[in-house]
This record gives sequence, C-alpha cells and structure tokens, in this order.
Amino acid sequence: MLEILQNNWLLFLVGQYPHGPIGGLTMTLFMALTALALCFPFAICLALARLSPYRWLRLSATAIVHTVRGLPLIMFIFWTYFFSPLIIGRAVGGVETLIIALVVYEAAYLSEIIRAGIQGLPKGQFEAASALGLGYWTTTWKIVLPQALHNMLPSMVSQFVSTIKETSLGYVISAHEMTFAASQVNNVLLTQPFEVYAILALTYFVLCFALTSLARYIERRISAGRVAVATPAVAVAV
Amino acid sequence: MIRFENVDKWYGPMQALAGVSGEVRRGEVKVLVGPSGCGKSTLIRTVTRLEAIQGGRVLVDGVDVGARGVNINRLRQRVGFVFQAYNLFPHLSAIGNITLGLTKLRKMGKAEARERALAELARVGLAAKAEEMPGKLSGGQRQRVAIARSLAMDPEVMLFDEPTSALDPEMVGEVLAAIKQLATNGMTMICVTHEMGFAREVADEVWFMERGAVVERGRPADLINSSAHPRLQRFLRTFA
Repeated sequence: MLEILQNNWLLFLVGQYPHGPIGGLTMTLFMALTALALCFPFAICLALARLSPYRWLRLSATAIVHTVRGLPLIMFIFWTYFFSPLIIGRAVGGVETLIIALVVYEAAYLSEIIRAGIQGLPKGQFEAASALGLGYWTTTWKIVLPQALHNMLPSMVSQFVSTIKETSLGYVISAHEMTFAASQVNNVLLTQPFEVYAILALTYFVLCFALTSLARYIERRISAGRVAVATPAVAVAV
Repeated sequence: MIRFENVDKWYGPMQALAGVSGEVRRGEVKVLVGPSGCGKSTLIRTVTRLEAIQGGRVLVDGVDVGARGVNINRLRQRVGFVFQAYNLFPHLSAIGNITLGLTKLRKMGKAEARERALAELARVGLAAKAEEMPGKLSGGQRQRVAIARSLAMDPEVMLFDEPTSALDPEMVGEVLAAIKQLATNGMTMICVTHEMGFAREVADEVWFMERGAVVERGRPADLINSSAHPRLQRFLRTFA
C-alpha cells in the first residue's frame, strides 16, 4: 500500500496536473467549497421564503425544498449533464456539471439548516427589533441572520462534510476528482483494487473526521457562549 | 397621548382584554398592577401592535395603531418599549445595541450615532461598559442598556413591561432609579410592575387590572389606603 502511495501520491493529490487537468484531492476540495459557497445565497433565500408571511412564496419554496430532498443527487448530476448542453448549446465539463448539481442539491439542505437556525432564535429578539421600529430587512440582516448562522455553524460544517463525500459521484461523469484519480491508479495497477480503494477511503475518512471534530469543537464553544448570555428564566406574563 | 377605547383581545377562547378604556396624557406616569395573567402586559403590548386586538381601538396621538396603512415602524420609533427579559441583541456590544437603531432608522453617521449612544449609556451610568457584550453584563446592567437603547430613539412615550421582574433583588434599585429619573424629567410612561413602593413614588395614577379589565384606578395614595376593592387590598398585602 505504501508503495502505491509512493508512486501515485501526486495523482491522488492534484490529478494529472501539470500535464493534464487538476484533479485529485485538490479538485475534490475545490468543488465542495465552491458548491457550498455558491449555494449559500440560494439557501438563505429559500429559508427566508419558507418563513415568509406570503403564502405563495412559502408554498413554492417548500415545494422546491421537498422535491430536491426527495430525489437522489445522481439524478441532478444526470439532468445537468444531459440537459445543460441542450440549453446553453455546448458541452459542459464534468467539474462544472457536478458543481451545478451540487449547488441545487445543497441549497435545499442548507436552507433547512438556516431555517432551523432562524426558528431557534428566542421570540424576544424579533420583538425587540419590532419594538425599535426596525423593518424586515434590517431585522433579517442585522439581527436574525448573524445569530442564526453563528448558531448553525456546526451543522454547516457537517453539511460541508457531506458535500465532500458527494463529490465522489463526479466519477460517473468523469469529473477529475479524488475518486476518479483512484480509479485511474487502479486501471494501471489492475491487481490491487483493495489497496488502492483503501487509500482512497482513508483519505476521505481523515479529511471528514477532522472536519466533524471541528464541528463538535465549534458546537461546544457556541453552547458555552450561550450559557453566558442566557437570560434568567422568567414567567411569561400575559 | 395614548387612548384605549373598549379594547378586546382574545387568545383563542381566552379573553385577555375585556373592553379596556383609558387615557394617558402627555407627561403622565401610569402604573399598571394586578395578578399574573390579568392582561396588564398584553395591554401595553397593544400600544405598539406587538399584540393585535380584536375589538376597540388603541390611539397614539390620535392615530389608530391597528388601522390599515399606518406606518407601524414609524410609530414604534416614537414609543419606547422595555421588556422583562431585556431582549438585548447578544451578538452586538452594549453600544452596538444602541447605535443600530440610530444608524438604520435615524440615518445618523457612525460617529454621531456613537456619540449619542455614549450619552445615553452615561445617563444610565454605563458609559464605562460601552464595549462589553451583553453576556458579560449583569441583569441590572443589561436592563439599563435596554432602557438606553429605547431612549436613544427619542421616544415620546416609554412602556415598561415588568422591567425588574427578572432581576435579582439587589439589582432592582439601579433599574428603578433610571426609570424614576425619566419620570422626573417629564417622560410619558406606562409601567407594568409589582414594585408598589415605586408606584407610590412615581405614578400619577395606578390602574389595578383583573381578568382583562381595569377594575380600580386612582392616585396611588388613595388606592393604597382605600378599602374599596377587597381583591386589590389582598393584592397589596402580598406585594406592598
């Protein structure tokens, strides 16, 4: 196994670069980060729409979220892969395809995390903003989202972990990422699939485990902070 | 300044306010007392439409609070509200809690807003704590920041919803002192409280509420000494 790693570590790390496209772990991380960053604004819009006082907005956003969450990611990859050339009139590469599919897919999941964060805020925060005379947008940008996103940071790191693992599906459309690199190595060696894929698994595990641990650490820090700001329990006066 | 006209409020089948009428004139201090669940908090929350009402009208300076087309956020800027649980924004410093409204609603520049906020903090004796986060402040200090936050908006009326009920006893005094100061300066106020000593000192009139209605009203000295209402006497024995 060490020998395989010694001979192929560069391929695992950056793919065929500089003789070909960037791939490997670098591309895996790049795709996961890009997808998460790009889906963020959509996720916020979806979350706000799902909590909107307007029925039509709430219902459409809910329909979108439920539809996306009810379908496997590979569907979105195939649809993007086969339909986007028809729409934009040229072939779309594996990396772009995967990022687009991930943005759609992750936006739905991330929006649920953000929605939970907003709904988890104490009612007093909304009331205090109202009582000051702050409007919806100022309340949302200055009061609600900063707190909701901060509280939801651990869940967002977990979502990032899922996204990293989901990029491995890029293999089926030949997006040059880490799983693709591993299969290239396997195709050359032919006789050692167990070792090659063990290296792949181990790499994913170390990366994801480190991130999950980070999420746990953040979570502990946030809940410690929350104890400090918690107001004393008060009877609700009517 | 504020008029309640036959205000009715229902929570499902439960009537929280039953035909409440009354008036608060400019410069007056009304203190609302009564047992838990009598509707006193609900009543002051109707003034800034934190609670919608089902019957009657609430008027602020002649404007019907519940009417369609009323710019409620504009109106709320003229009516300060202080909550039992302070409701400071925990992600903003003490001064940040105050400057937010000044920059966003009063359209002040950063420097001007800071100056104004510092002046308000100084008024409640907390200029030195300007940069502290709410989590680092005591309950009494948080409530005083909340009062400063409301005052910074230059309200014409201040509403206090049991401002000292969540505080440890040793912190009640500092908050009441800040409110008394306001009363002395002629601020129009409605204050829901159980502090009868405070009511006696600052109130022009005390309204005693029970089951969603104002059952007694009068000057604090008259109410406290009269034996008119047995329920009120029992209430006073408990709290005074």
